[in-house]
Amino acid sequence: MPARNHKQWTAKPDLELGEWVDSRIYSDEEIFEEELEKLWKKSWIALCHESELPEPYDFRTAIIAREPIIIVRGPDNKIRAFLNVCPHRGMTIERRPSGSFAPAQPSGNPKHMTCLFHAWQFDMKGNCVDIPRQKEGYQDRLDKSSQGLRALRCEVKYGGFVWVCLDDHTEFNVETWTAGAMDCIKDSIDAEPLELIHYHKAIIDCNYKLWHDTNSEFYHDYMHYHNRITGFNDEYFQRECSAFDNGHVNVGTFTVNYEEYDVAEDRGTLSFPNLPPDNWYMVDMFPGLNFNLRGSVVRMDLMTPLSANQVMIEFRGFGLKSDSAEDRAHRIQHHNSIWGPLGRNLHEDLIGVAGQGVTMTPKSEPRRILHGRHEGAYIHDEIGMRHFYETWGKKMDRLPSDPEQKYRPGKVVGPEMPPAKGLSTFAGKVA
Amino acid sequence: MSWKKVCAVAEVPENALEKFEIDGIEIIIANYGSGFRAFPPRCPHMEEPLCDSGVLFDGMLTCTKHLWQWDMATGERTGIAEKELLFYDVKQEGEDIYAHVEQALVYEDDDDDEEEEDDDDFFNAD
Repeated sequence: MPARNHKQWTAKPDLELGEWVDSRIYSDEEIFEEELEKLWKKSWIALCHESELPEPYDFRTAIIAREPIIIVRGPDNKIRAFLNVCPHRGMTIERRPSGSFAPAQPSGNPKHMTCLFHAWQFDMKGNCVDIPRQKEGYQDRLDKSSQGLRALRCEVKYGGFVWVCLDDHTEFNVETWTAGAMDCIKDSIDAEPLELIHYHKAIIDCNYKLWHDTNSEFYHDYMHYHNRITGFNDEYFQRECSAFDNGHVNVGTFTVNYEEYDVAEDRGTLSFPNLPPDNWYMVDMFPGLNFNLRGSVVRMDLMTPLSANQVMIEFRGFGLKSDSAEDRAHRIQHHNSIWGPLGRNLHEDLIGVAGQGVTMTPKSEPRRILHGRHEGAYIHDEIGMRHFYETWGKKMDRLPSDPEQKYRPGKVVGPEMPPAKGLSTFAGKVA
Repeated sequence: MSWKKVCAVAEVPENALEKFEIDGIEIIIANYGSGFRAFPPRCPHMEEPLCDSGVLFDGMLTCTKHLWQWDMATGERTGIAEKELLFYDVKQEGEDIYAHVEQALVYEDDDDDEEEEDDDDFFNAD
């Protein structure tokens, strides 16, 4: 087709409803605010892992939908979540990303959370245990027993991840929220305790859903030089995408031929429990959380939307707590060679979404973003994205392809097809 | 009666707070100029070590963490302090200081350390 004039450029594509979206869902600030309320404040989000707060009085801080959150391990070893907000004057109670309340704090004694501002103090169950001058200053009009922290729903589930939901009245627990999407990796990550082996974060000027899209669409593998020349065997194309309630998707396994990766080592002997050697699974949780089990390491991406056009992505890697020092070093190498900040894939993915972020800044002209490939629900089918945006549309009551209209169903599933043929005779011949 | 010798007078100069251990019990001896006081080592507010964070001047002990104060001559709290300091009886005999120590004085812990289990219905309560 020749180049298009403005009218042609902005016309609807020759695809069915559900096979594209309007870029305003990525750029519009009003839609973004609505997403925080209707999606992020209603979802269970895995904010961190229990190994990040291994000892009583350890803590980790995070954010969901602008609400600062603190996760603490109590002296009873139970992990609890609270808003990281002092009920007195709204000060952030704890400003560090992680640490321990076991030693004395700048404004308080050991084993307590003490607000630095005016020394209101709380225990690990969120009870307010000290208000300075309560009697003299408030004359019994305000009692510390009514000034506890805001407790949040919190569950440790699936391999020790700490899940939090801001909605007190959510109809879901973590298991019903995940709706079966975690079943494919559950036996591997629940077999024995996991431990954090890698953490880094990136703040990217793009909408959080663009990172989600990149995690749930796979033919950008052509962008990944190393994947392109090594990975595309028949088995690669036979992976199936499955959709689950609440917008989740997972992608089935295949055996990765690491020996065909330049300088990569085989991961078979270190592959996770209950996982065939060198197998791979991915689980994409609505609205912005991703688990990736690649043989010997688990990766978890957590998206924290900062604005319509900015997202913080935290990348965590996990090994087994029982690892020997040598095994741990191999796992870290396996993780970083693919997913580290200088690995084979990750920075290329970030280039992709950062480029989209440039074209979809707030108030930029609406564009059509296509995800209409149907390949029998095999790996390069875009069923994952279509399922995500159908769920998005229902929960937002907006039509993804025209967000000013109310939701109506679009096309998710396409025709049955055999999987594409791989390049097994080509793989490994170019390096 | 168990008067215990704690230290020599010369070990606690004027306006000094010195920590000693008597039969496994830590006590602070404070020389406020016109006399001595003996008390437990931590502030009754938030357990601050008074040897490190306490300042003794002009007869007044101040915990610098949150500025609670006690008058050493009367032993009473003053300013914004909300709790009394507990004291061991203390006396000077010759060049030595004695304290009457039978067991460690401890501050009543007013933390609401509720032991009950977390309530499943908590999030649906009014």
